[in-house]
Amino acid sequence: MGMSAGGGGGVKADPNVTPMIDVMLVLLIIFMITIPQINAGFTAVPPEGQNLKPHPEEDGDQVLGIDSEGRYYLNKQPVRNEDLEPLVKEIYGVEGRDDYIMYVKAHKDLQYLKVIDAMDKLSRNGVRVAALITEQAAGTESLVESDRIRPGGN
Amino acid sequence: MGMSAGGGGSGLTNEINVTPMIDVLLVLLVIFMIIVPMSRKAIDTQLPDPNPQPAQPNVNPDQIVLEALPDDKYAINKEPVEKDKLFERLKSIYDPRPEKIIFVKGDTMTTYANVVWAMDQARGAGVKVIGLAPK
Repeated sequence: MGMSAGGGGGVKADPNVTPMIDVMLVLLIIFMITIPQINAGFTAVPPEGQNLKPHPEEDGDQVLGIDSEGRYYLNKQPVRNEDLEPLVKEIYGVEGRDDYIMYVKAHKDLQYLKVIDAMDKLSRNGVRVAALITEQAAGTESLVESDRIRPGGN
Repeated sequence: MGMSAGGGGSGLTNEINVTPMIDVLLVLLVIFMIIVPMSRKAIDTQLPDPNPQPAQPNVNPDQIVLEALPDDKYAINKEPVEKDKLFERLKSIYDPRPEKIIFVKGDTMTTYANVVWAMDQARGAGVKVIGLAPK
């Protein structure tokens, strides 16, 4: 209709989008499969809260998981109770680390004893700050102004 | 080549319009890519000193210790506070106070969620630094 340039031959100017759709579909499927895989091995439902500080994930982050049975997971790998301290010391005991923060993702219904036990082990092996991973309660926003600024500047 | 079915050589094209589908897929893809790294939030807590000094001559007398007791009960400096009054109480303490430090002591019998709830209320009331009391 609007286009009448070029000759009247069989030449079509439409880009062939089929390969693009293929790529997109594959990417989508890859993402859908990998997201549950990322969380595999360790499952814990963290508690909910309102006034939380955003901590975007970074490469060097160390995460201690404690599942509903009180078992420890270091970066999603199961760890025996007696192995936790040496492993944490290996990570945080080195001189000149630029952060001494460990993320702790513990199940919400755990007895607090289990959590404070783990914290005690962390503090004895060089961890200074424990960031307790908490889920933002649906429909709430932090009352603390600095939490609402998106990390990354925008 | 192989296909010669159908007759008309008229302008009718029966290709599917895929543009909306691509739009939807792209949006889904972008959503997934954003959600994956952005979703983590946490409450930062200072762990207790593993080698406490045996003699502490100048223990700060006006430090605030928030206790999470079993059965969803709470206390500030040993004084019981009702759960729904906790936030107001903390706010009235921390609004005039220059140092926004709190110590949170959870009873070993209470649940982790209750302790985190108490920390959450404290942060909302203006506390900047949360220290975990040792066992």
